[in-house]
Amino acid sequence: MAVDITLLFKASVKTVKTRNKAIGIGFDSTKDEIFKRSRPKGGFSPKAKEVITNITKLKEFLLQHRKDYVSAGSLISSDLTRMTDSERDQIDQDAQIFMRTCSEAIKQLRNEAEKQVMSAQIKEHRGAVLDLVEMYLKGVCKIYSEQRAIRVKRMFEQENQRLISEMNSLVDEVKQIEGKVVEISRLQEIFAEKVLQQETEIDSIHQLVVGATENVKEGNEDIREAIKNNAGFRVWILFFLVMCSFSLLFLDWYDS
Amino acid sequence: TICFCFISVALKRMLNFNAPPLKNTAAEPVWKVLIYDRFGQDIISPLLSVKELRDMGITLHLLLHSDRDPIPDVPAVYFVMPTEENIDRICQDLRNQLYESYYLNFISAISRSKLEDIASAALAANAVSLVTKVFDQYLNFITLEDDMFILCHQNKELISYHAINRADLQDTDMEAIMDTIVDSLFCFFVTLGAVPIIRCPRGNAAEMVAVKLDKKLRENLRDARNSLFTGDSMAAGQFSFQRPLFVLADRNVDMATPLHHTWTYQALIHDVLDFHLNRVMMEEGAGAEPSPAGARPKKKSRKTYDLTAADKFWQKHKGSPFPEVAESVQEELDTYRAQEDEVKRLKSIMGLEGEDEGAISMLSDNTAKLTSAMSSLPELLEKKRLIDLHTNVATAVLDHIKSRKLDVYFEYEEKLMSKSTLDKSLLDIISDPDAGTSEDKMRLFLIFYITAQLAPSESDLEQYKKALTDAGCDLSPLNYIKQWKAFTKMAATPANYGNSGVKPMGLFSRVMNTGSQFVMEGVKNLVLKQHVSLYAETDDYRYFDPKMLRGSESSIPRNKNPFQEAIVFVVGGGNYIEYQNLVDYTKVLHKCTQLLLVCVFSVQTGKEGHLRMQ
Repeated sequence: MAVDITLLFKASVKTVKTRNKAIGIGFDSTKDEIFKRSRPKGGFSPKAKEVITNITKLKEFLLQHRKDYVSAGSLISSDLTRMTDSERDQIDQDAQIFMRTCSEAIKQLRNEAEKQVMSAQIKEHRGAVLDLVEMYLKGVCKIYSEQRAIRVKRMFEQENQRLISEMNSLVDEVKQIEGKVVEISRLQEIFAEKVLQQETEIDSIHQLVVGATENVKEGNEDIREAIKNNAGFRVWILFFLVMCSFSLLFLDWYDS
Repeated sequence: TICFCFISVALKRMLNFNAPPLKNTAAEPVWKVLIYDRFGQDIISPLLSVKELRDMGITLHLLLHSDRDPIPDVPAVYFVMPTEENIDRICQDLRNQLYESYYLNFISAISRSKLEDIASAALAANAVSLVTKVFDQYLNFITLEDDMFILCHQNKELISYHAINRADLQDTDMEAIMDTIVDSLFCFFVTLGAVPIIRCPRGNAAEMVAVKLDKKLRENLRDARNSLFTGDSMAAGQFSFQRPLFVLADRNVDMATPLHHTWTYQALIHDVLDFHLNRVMMEEGAGAEPSPAGARPKKKSRKTYDLTAADKFWQKHKGSPFPEVAESVQEELDTYRAQEDEVKRLKSIMGLEGEDEGAISMLSDNTAKLTSAMSSLPELLEKKRLIDLHTNVATAVLDHIKSRKLDVYFEYEEKLMSKSTLDKSLLDIISDPDAGTSEDKMRLFLIFYITAQLAPSESDLEQYKKALTDAGCDLSPLNYIKQWKAFTKMAATPANYGNSGVKPMGLFSRVMNTGSQFVMEGVKNLVLKQHVSLYAETDDYRYFDPKMLRGSESSIPRNKNPFQEAIVFVVGGGNYIEYQNLVDYTKVLHKCTQLLLVCVFSVQTGKEGHLRMQ
C-alpha cells in the first residue's frame, strides 16, 4: 500500500527553511523566479495541448448529439428530438472536416518538430506525445465512425424496406394483370369456339349460295336459250306464214 | 490473493500521478516521463510492457543515472530506491530544472534525513512547488508470477546463499543482509495489507529473518499514528479476513533440489537458457532451425522473448513436462494452420463473387464469417507470434537436452533422490564424454553425495574425484557439501525426498510419427510424479504473531483456524522445481481445503550460484 508522504516532505521543507534561517543562509527567491519565467517554454507543448482540447471538443460534440443521431425515433419521442437526415449529414461533414484539421495539425507539429534541432530525448518525447495525440484522435474518430456505421446500416435497412415494399406492390400488380389475362384468354377461347361453329354454317351457306348462283346462271342460260329459241321459232313461224301467204297468193293467181 | 494485476494496478496508479486511473478509454492523454533506477526497472518490467507504458502516456522511460536532457514542459515520475546516490541525483535534477514537475516515488521507505536533503535541494533550486507528490510505494520486491516473487535481481549476490553461508561472514555483514531481506518482506506484507503469522525452524538464518521481521512488524503496529496496517490503508475486502501463514525455511535443509536437473518447461528454460525476470535471451541461428531457407548463413543475432501472463500457452504449459510441451506446440501450430486456411478459403470465395451463382447465395453467410475472421485476424497473428516464440524456445531447450543428455541426468537423479534401484553406474555417467558439461556431472555427483545414506568409501571417493577432474570439474563445491552434510547430520533429520517416481514411457515414436519438428529420438519420455521435498516436521518450528503482545512463547495462544493463505520463503534461494511442486501440491489440496499459496524466494539460484560455494 503506497503511503503519501507529501505532507511530510513539506514539513521537511519548513524544517530546512527554519534551519537555514537560523544559520543565516537565505535564498534569493525572487530572482530565481524571474529566471524561471524567462525560460523559453517552447511552442510545442501548448500547441499539442490545444490540439487535444480541440479533439476533446469534437468528442463532446459527438457524444452530446449521439443519442439524437443514433435514435431511429420511436413513436413516443416527439419530432423535436428527431434529427433529419440533412442534419445528420451536416454533423458528418463537420466532424470529418474537424478530424481532418486535427490530423493536419498533428502532421504539422510533427514536421516542425523534425525540422527543429534538439536533443534526441526531446525528439523522442515529442514523437511519443504526438503518437499519443494521434491515438486519442483515432479513438474519437472511432466514436464517430461507429455512429456513422449505425446510421449507414440503418439507411441500408430502410432502403431494404423500401425495396421490399416496392417489390411487394409490383408483385400485386403483376398478379392483377395475370388475372385479367387469364380472363381474356378464357373469353377468347369461347369466342374461337363460336367462330368455329359459325364457320361450318357459313360454309354450308356458302355452298348453297354457290349452288344457287350456279342454278341461277344456268337458269339464265336456259332463259336465254329459250328466248333465242323463242325468237328463232318466231322467225320460222313468220317465214312459214309469209310463205304460206305467198303460196296462197300464188295458188290464187294460178287458179285465176 | 495477490495477483499480478493487483501490483500492476498499484504501479499504474503511481504512473497516473498517484491517482486511480480512469476507466474511460477515450480519455485525454496526459504525457509524462518515467525515471527509474535498476531496481525500479526490474520491478516494472515483468508487469508492464513498453506498449502499456506508452498507452499510459509515458513518452520516455529513462534510467536515473543516465544523461538526461531538460524537457521543461513535461512532468516526471520517479520510481527509485532511496539510496544516497539516487537522492543526490534527484537533487541534481532539481537544481538543473530538468522537468516541469516532480512526482517522487520511493520503492521502500525513505528516511527523514534523506527527505530533508531533497527538501534543501528543492529550496535551493526554488523548486519546492514543483515537487508535487512524494510517496513511499513499499514495492521492494519483484513479481514474476501471479504467485511467485523474488526479492531482487540487481545485487542478488549480496543476499544469495553464498553470501549468507560463507565462512568469512562477519556479524555486521549478516546484519546488513538480514536488513535487506526483512525490508523487502516488510514491503511485501504492507502491500498485501495483512500481518502474517510467522513460522520458522530453529537455529539458522531463517530464524534470524523471522525474529527481525516480527520485530519490525510489531514496531509498526504499535506506532498507531503511522501504522501501515490500519483498516483504511488496507485494501478492504481485497483479501480474506484470515491472516496468512508465513513459513520460512532455510536453504540448508535441502541442498539437492537446487542442484537437481529439471524437466518442466519453465524450470528447464531457467536452467538451460538465459532466463531472468520472465525474459529469455537467445542467440538466433544457434538452434537447429528447420526452416527451408536454403543456404542461409547462420548469423548469430540476439533475440529476447518475454514470457508474460497474457501468453495463454505459457500459462498452461509452464509446469508441464517437456515432451508434453513439444506436443502441445505442434498441436497449436496445426490449429493455427487450420484457422489460416479457413481465412484463405473465405478470401477466395469472396473472389468468386459474380462468377458463381451458388457463391452468391452463400455470400451473406460468408460475409458474417469473413467479418469474424477479419476481426480475429489480430488474435491469429498474435497466436502465430506466440507459436513461433515457443517453437524457438522449445527447440533451443531441446538442443541442450539432446547435446547434454539431460534426460539421463534427470532420470538418474530422480532415482537417487527416491532411493530406487539404479540401472547405471554413476562412474559411467561421469566418465562419459558425451553426456553433459562438467557442471552437469558435478551436480549429479553432489546429489549422489547428499542423498547417499552411507558416505562412499575413500577408494570410491578417490575414483569419483579422479573421474570428475578428468571431466574438467572443480572440486571445491564437493568440499563444501562434505562440511554441510556433516553439519546437517548433527542438526536435524535429513530431508526425505518423498515418494517420487519416474516412469520412462519408452521412446518417443508417437511424436516422430506426427511429423513434428520436435524429433526427440533417443530422449526418454519421462513423466513426473509428485515429488514433494518435505521439510522437517513443523511442530517444533517457532511461532511468531506480531499482533500479539509479547509474552513467553508457550503462553501465546495459537491461531487454531486453518489457514487460507500461505506464503513460503526460502532463505538462501528457492528454485523453479520447488515452486512447481508447491503449485502442484496446492492444486491437489485446493480441492479439499481451499489453500492458496504464494511463494517467495530470496533469489533464484542460477546454476552458477550453486558452485560458487567456498
